[in-house]
Amino acid sequence: MADELKFPTDGEKPDRDSLDESLKALIRDAYAPPDGDAYWSGLEQRIMARVASESSADSSWWTVLAPWGRPALIAAAAVFAIAGVVNQQLVDSDEQMAYDSAFQSSTPDVVSTSEEIMSVERGADGATISYFLSH
Amino acid sequence: MRIPDEERALAEAARAGDQKAFAGLVRLHQRRAYLVARAIVTVHEDAEDAVQEGFVRAWQAIERFDPSQGFQAWVNRIVANAALDITRRRKVRTTEELSDALQSPFRDPAQDAELKSRLNEALAQLPERARSVIVMHDVEGFTHVEIGEMLGIPGGTARSDLHHARQKLRTLLKDLRG
Repeated sequence: MADELKFPTDGEKPDRDSLDESLKALIRDAYAPPDGDAYWSGLEQRIMARVASESSADSSWWTVLAPWGRPALIAAAAVFAIAGVVNQQLVDSDEQMAYDSAFQSSTPDVVSTSEEIMSVERGADGATISYFLSH
Repeated sequence: MRIPDEERALAEAARAGDQKAFAGLVRLHQRRAYLVARAIVTVHEDAEDAVQEGFVRAWQAIERFDPSQGFQAWVNRIVANAALDITRRRKVRTTEELSDALQSPFRDPAQDAELKSRLNEALAQLPERARSVIVMHDVEGFTHVEIGEMLGIPGGTARSDLHHARQKLRTLLKDLRG
């Protein structure tokens, strides 16, 4: 078995420092993998059982959430649409208020100015002016 | 590097989510992966845990695997990382425990008992990384570069570790080997 597991060592320099073969054999023996197909098929089954459980755990959250995907998208689109309409209405309202406030603040000024002129003309100063003009 | 057609087909199917194909890759490579793990963690049970953990991580990352590269080298690196994680978790370990751990139930009982006992003690006295390097190189035949990739060290460091580990092992076993 050990021979079939060896990797080629191309590209490495000749190993003059290597341990002797009897010592290598002893170490190889101490680290030998379990023998027998039953052990390896058992290990494979344990690995695949964990792989299967990992896969089901990974997919379970998506399985739960998947049915909610389409309604969630529709709800999100509706929220965006409503938000857009509300925003547009707020903008229109602001513009109307600005227009109204500008219109209402200028009209009384014009009226008051003409009233002042009329009152000046009708007051004491107006009489004085009329006196000088008549003489 | 020539990738066998069977392995390439299995790897591509596994990338597409085929668990049976992945089981085929496990069957092909678990023994070699075990040897890598065993060189790092020493204890059989830990090596088995590292192999399981490594293959599960490989499955989780299978989309990132390039089928034109060798699956063995890729999974060995992952298994080595899993084994290193185990050694970090179990950093404190006495020489006696290591020596006991090396008494593998799978070894040949016909070997000389005293020599084996001394070898186990000597291996247990080596620094953890030096022991891994000597087992990976002298027993399992990995190159310095491959060892460096698996242990996360430069290839030159692996070569240096190997040299010092061999010297120390020879010194420890000098009186036995004459």
